[in-house]
Amino acid sequence: MPFGYHGSYLRIDLSSGAAGSVPLSDSVLRQYIGGSGLGVKLLLDEGTAQLDPLAPAAPLIFAFSPLVGSPLTTSAKFAVVSKSPLSERINDSLASSGFAIAGKGCGCDAIVIVGRAPEFSVLVIDETGVRLESAAEFRGATCGATEAGIKARLGAHYRVASIGPAGENNVRYSTISHDGRHAGRGGSGAVLGAKNIKAIAISGTRRTRWAYPAELTALSKSLSKKSFGPATAKYRELGTATNLLTFNRFGALPTRNFQSGTFEEAVNLSPEQLGAVRSKTRKSCMACTIGCEHIYSNGESNVRVEYESLFALGSLCGVGDADAVLRASQRCDELGMDTISTGGTIAFAMECVERGWLDEPWLTFGSSEALLRAIEWIGAREGLGNLLAEGSRRAALAIGHNSISIAPQVKGLEIPGYEPRALQTMALGFAVGARGADHNRSGAYEVDFSDKVDRRHVTLDAVRLAIETEDKAALMDSLIICKFLRGVFEDFHAETAEMLHYVTGWDITADELRETAQRIVAAKRQFNVLAGWTPTEDTLPERFLNTPLSSDPEAVLSRHRLDDLVTEYHRQRGW
Amino acid sequence: MHVEFLAVPRRLAGTSQVEVQAETLGQLLTALAAQFPSLGEFIVLDRLHPSFIASLNGEQFVSDPQTALGEHDHVLILSADAGG
Repeated sequence: MPFGYHGSYLRIDLSSGAAGSVPLSDSVLRQYIGGSGLGVKLLLDEGTAQLDPLAPAAPLIFAFSPLVGSPLTTSAKFAVVSKSPLSERINDSLASSGFAIAGKGCGCDAIVIVGRAPEFSVLVIDETGVRLESAAEFRGATCGATEAGIKARLGAHYRVASIGPAGENNVRYSTISHDGRHAGRGGSGAVLGAKNIKAIAISGTRRTRWAYPAELTALSKSLSKKSFGPATAKYRELGTATNLLTFNRFGALPTRNFQSGTFEEAVNLSPEQLGAVRSKTRKSCMACTIGCEHIYSNGESNVRVEYESLFALGSLCGVGDADAVLRASQRCDELGMDTISTGGTIAFAMECVERGWLDEPWLTFGSSEALLRAIEWIGAREGLGNLLAEGSRRAALAIGHNSISIAPQVKGLEIPGYEPRALQTMALGFAVGARGADHNRSGAYEVDFSDKVDRRHVTLDAVRLAIETEDKAALMDSLIICKFLRGVFEDFHAETAEMLHYVTGWDITADELRETAQRIVAAKRQFNVLAGWTPTEDTLPERFLNTPLSSDPEAVLSRHRLDDLVTEYHRQRGW
Repeated sequence: MHVEFLAVPRRLAGTSQVEVQAETLGQLLTALAAQFPSLGEFIVLDRLHPSFIASLNGEQFVSDPQTALGEHDHVLILSADAGG
């Protein structure tokens, strides 16, 4: 067994109550590393790609990594992998902090959960073993209240991942929350809820050894020092929210369900304006030296602010009232709902109302009251919320009128805050993404914000660059290290190979890591193929094709050009 | 020409815009480093640190210090990392 690993995963069958350790070979660990890569490999091995993701037998996997527990900054992360109830394709979501360290401390490299608990339960994993405890008192509780309540019951040293009311109600984009952050996209909260599990509480202190501890410590110090430098200044100084005014300036800020790339009230939601009238603090995940979380207070409560939440619940819904957007973001966190899919689905419904396709006259662009009401209804699956809880693709199919053409999604996953017509390398990244439209699995926007392409007139040269960002993301999600660190590396593959060498002892090269990244991307696609993927899924909704962006006539992406980009992508991937 | 700062560059410069005389991008950056010492860490000689990037008229991103600038050009200086 290599250093840095326990060499096994814990498999739990909630239906039968059986739990046991399953060995992991050195070969599998080296080929898939951990996190997303290992999770996808284990999911494939379960052979359940064709199952309903909410069926009891459908697995939900928590995967750790060899770097977890090391002194490397940002390494306290875990991946949650399953078939997505939103897209019915692969889903790998990441979250951070103590749950990763405690989970690996239980003596396993991953936890595979299948079956369904007979009662509404908390799954407890600690040194005494695996057991179910009643979660009856937490039914309907928010993520934060659940986490606090379970720690009060079991002890403060337990680390808790929980779902909110949305997960209990199988909202298809509900999250799994830990320590205020979320494994957010794709609906893993609904998968856990379908297993009759409100939360997982973990306590464990087993450590793995490192192959070269002195060298690893020195490297960790160096990396931490770099993490205080200019490459991470954006995250430290202003947080991701600073994208808002920049994207607005470049006509790339999705507004009113992608009808425009600029929002006239964007400045209201900018971190500069938010900070001018509210107190602000910063927070870090455990074992992180960047501190990207910018938390604003309105005197009554604290709200963590991220660009994606501001865009999705702000400009995308036409809402420029900062207090309402912060409240909306907070309610999504409490209910356990992905802010991007929540905002995307509500914005889609607002446009359907505007077009007369949906008879809900209260649901209008710019209405703070409507936004907040819709969020509550989705979390509870009340009234129109029951339809919107299905996500924009399913809602469009129910509404008809070819509304699927304006549903802001790829493979069912709502599009993040990057206007595809203004950022066309990102358009390709969205179209081919294994889990759907996603900025965490494709960093192709980096190419658009560079001198390597003309972002509104990309050519086939952009394909290789888009693939490189996708491979790099797959590697970071498997090692696992935070993507906000990526700017500190001068030679990413060589430096992460050194990192992995010091932890595991493997004589691993940069080229091997490049092959590993490609293997992990291919594994995700393999799962999708088994789940029914066809090439026609690798595209964008009709809205984005052939029609110029209203706020920028030069921002037009023809169907022909996107088709060519996707075909070239498949060719270069060898698919 | 007109220079507009966004994101971290705006915070460090303490202003959103400024007028600068320069014939090339390199000259412009040298002038900005002199005028705004707080940007010094991010301007190395006549080039931007990789964490910053320049856009010419909001249409194309430029990095070559020899890039010619016209009197009526509008240069935006912003954080290069657009990750959210």
